[in-house]
Amino acid sequence: MALMEQTQAAAHDDAHGHGHSAARNENLKFAWWLYLASEVIIFTVLIAGYLVYAFNHREVVHEVHEAAGVLLVATNTFLLLASSWMMVMGLRSIQMGDQKGLLTWISATAIFGTIFVLLQIVEYATLSAAGVTLYHTSGELSEFGARFYAPTAFHGVHVIVGVLWAIYICYKGARGGYSKTNYIGVEIFGLYWHFVDVVWIFLFTFIYLI
Amino acid sequence: MTDMHTTADHAHDAVHTPAAADSHDAHADTLLPTSRFMGIDLPVPLYTAVFGALALLTIIEVILAELPEFFLTTPLLVFLSICKAILVVWYYMHLRTDNKLYALALLIPLFIGIVGTLFLLAVPLFSYPY
Repeated sequence: MALMEQTQAAAHDDAHGHGHSAARNENLKFAWWLYLASEVIIFTVLIAGYLVYAFNHREVVHEVHEAAGVLLVATNTFLLLASSWMMVMGLRSIQMGDQKGLLTWISATAIFGTIFVLLQIVEYATLSAAGVTLYHTSGELSEFGARFYAPTAFHGVHVIVGVLWAIYICYKGARGGYSKTNYIGVEIFGLYWHFVDVVWIFLFTFIYLI
Repeated sequence: MTDMHTTADHAHDAVHTPAAADSHDAHADTLLPTSRFMGIDLPVPLYTAVFGALALLTIIEVILAELPEFFLTTPLLVFLSICKAILVVWYYMHLRTDNKLYALALLIPLFIGIVGTLFLLAVPLFSYPY
């Protein structure tokens, strides 16, 4: 009788443990989406500031587009899209219980993110040499600079944070911190990384193509 | 023994809601080695198929931007970027299977931002022509 009660209690705890865990994961995800909402506001304001300027100064935008060239930034776009794919393949791996796969894919995500940042530095150096600087005492390009660097640099910082987070995921994953039934940490990181990708999709179009 | 099993099952049912079960099952197609994307059967996982679509749309964007500008260039580029963003949010951020309430977290600030931007565009650079 006592054994049966103990087993019942264990079954109850187990069931509720799963329930609490599922509810906690849902709450975590919802909280993270709310955080992303705040990020949407910040990036929208930055992009809006750029668009209003670009809308009224088309000739300056064309001049900068010619100086920057589309190849470098298109390469960066592919890198970030590919890193998003790698991120989600890492999540898929751990959902299937493949810890080695998780480490491989998330490491690749971090590497691609790092290359993205390095190429962005190259792009900044190119533009700076062409006169597009954050602050300049005179000239139309000086007005463009602040509006261009604010959203792209703010996005770049997000990529750097994402790379550091990916390294942490790899560190924790290597120590067995994630499993087939416990991968919410990877999923939350994925939401962040994909959001950064979505922001870049719009930055690429609005700043570099239009 | 039967009672014990029933109690455990009852507790299990109480905390594993249909929505949670549906959400778990909905992820199953992403784990398959093949996929059905946009009505086409593909020999790659769903996530890879989505990446293929994203890459293709980006190539189209770059080609479009390099072509001589015409009146549809900007609307088409904006449309393509929205398509790409939807693909990422829908498939990679799992809005396809997760609670649709999450979409509001993106849509509400986005709506406010777009309205704000349009308002800003309506403001003249120097002064109103009174």
